[in-house]
Amino acid sequence: MDVTINGPKIYFTIPIFGGINITQTTVSLLAVTILLIVTAYFLTRHLTKRPGRMQVITEKGVSMIYDLVDSTMGTHNRKFAPYIGTLFLSSVCGSLIGMTQIFRSTTADLSVTAAWALVTTGIVWYEKIKNNGFLGFLKGFTEPIVVMTPMNIVSEIASPISLAFRHFGNVAGGSVITALVYSALAALSSFVFSWLPAAVSAALPPVFQVGVPAFLSIYFDLFSGFVQALVFSLLTMVYIGEANPPKAEVPATEGEKADK
Amino acid sequence: MEGFESFVGVNFWTMIFAWINLLILFLFLRKLLFNPVKNMIDSRQKEIDDMYSDAEKNKRDAEEMKSEYEKKIGDADAECEKMLRGAVRKAQLREEEILREADSKAQRTLERAEEQIELERVRAMNDVKDEVSTLAVEIASAVIGRDIKPDEHAEMIDEFINSVGKDG
Repeated sequence: MDVTINGPKIYFTIPIFGGINITQTTVSLLAVTILLIVTAYFLTRHLTKRPGRMQVITEKGVSMIYDLVDSTMGTHNRKFAPYIGTLFLSSVCGSLIGMTQIFRSTTADLSVTAAWALVTTGIVWYEKIKNNGFLGFLKGFTEPIVVMTPMNIVSEIASPISLAFRHFGNVAGGSVITALVYSALAALSSFVFSWLPAAVSAALPPVFQVGVPAFLSIYFDLFSGFVQALVFSLLTMVYIGEANPPKAEVPATEGEKADK
Repeated sequence: MEGFESFVGVNFWTMIFAWINLLILFLFLRKLLFNPVKNMIDSRQKEIDDMYSDAEKNKRDAEEMKSEYEKKIGDADAECEKMLRGAVRKAQLREEEILREADSKAQRTLERAEEQIELERVRAMNDVKDEVSTLAVEIASAVIGRDIKPDEHAEMIDEFINSVGKDG
């Protein structure tokens, strides 16, 4: 019994720019985008001062994201809340869409998590350069002492990589384990029914595959999907929050600059 | 492995798609979901805050008015008391004045009456004096037998009358 672990399937390749692969991931990304936009459209079509049941739930979710942003990044960074919310919803839906068995989880493709992590790094660098100037941004690598410079550079590069691999690894690893368990259960079924005549046992479905993987799925897909989305969003918030501290601290650094 | 991407690998074009999807999703969700819902929450919150602060203000106003009215009523009471007391005092003063006036009027009338009496007495006395002197002159003339000129003998006559008056 072979267990094959594959990357996303390539449906077809557009023969330009050296070949653009349209893969399962591409399709899933599009599906998630359309699903979320349509859902958002229907949820917010009739917003009223006196909310209905759906609006209460929507408002609760939105205000939870805003509260999380406020408490992690400070109220001055509230403008990032829509991005954080988008990231969180993309991640959750991207992970959960794999449960449909029609689409492959977008977050089980390193390209996707790497792209998101690079956006985080891009925002972090943009905020740092905006707050400290380009030279101040470069000087930031030599703090607290000059000897730390290589390590600071490594950690600056490592943070998006770890961010990308953490998310990818959890979701992809979950799917690998699920695949392994499925094949193990199939093997168990054929072993249990091996006393039957070969023609009969081959016709029987792998009955042990029923039920057991559902519990695994609750952990690896549902729980892990939410947790990894939360972790990714939280780390993004922390990194951006560090790059853009509250305004009260900014005059102090400017004062330091003026001294020099 | 034809037909599959590598399991752990980065495909540049997939990243581009991920970015495009993230950007589109961000723009749409911000416009459709986050901004309108957040605005709705904030405006509702503001409305509630306004309502509470309005109620607070109205309550404060009402209490202010109440204390003002209470003060006014107390003032009116005091004013009334004062007016009453003033009126009573004025009435008393007026009473005393009237009494005093009446007193003085009575006094004056009495004095005038006494003066009148005195005057009448003096006049009566003078009349009697004249009468007596004439009489005395006549008697004396009769006694002496000759005329006594009143002008010449005024001193003597007066002396006589006075002595008679003292006896009378």
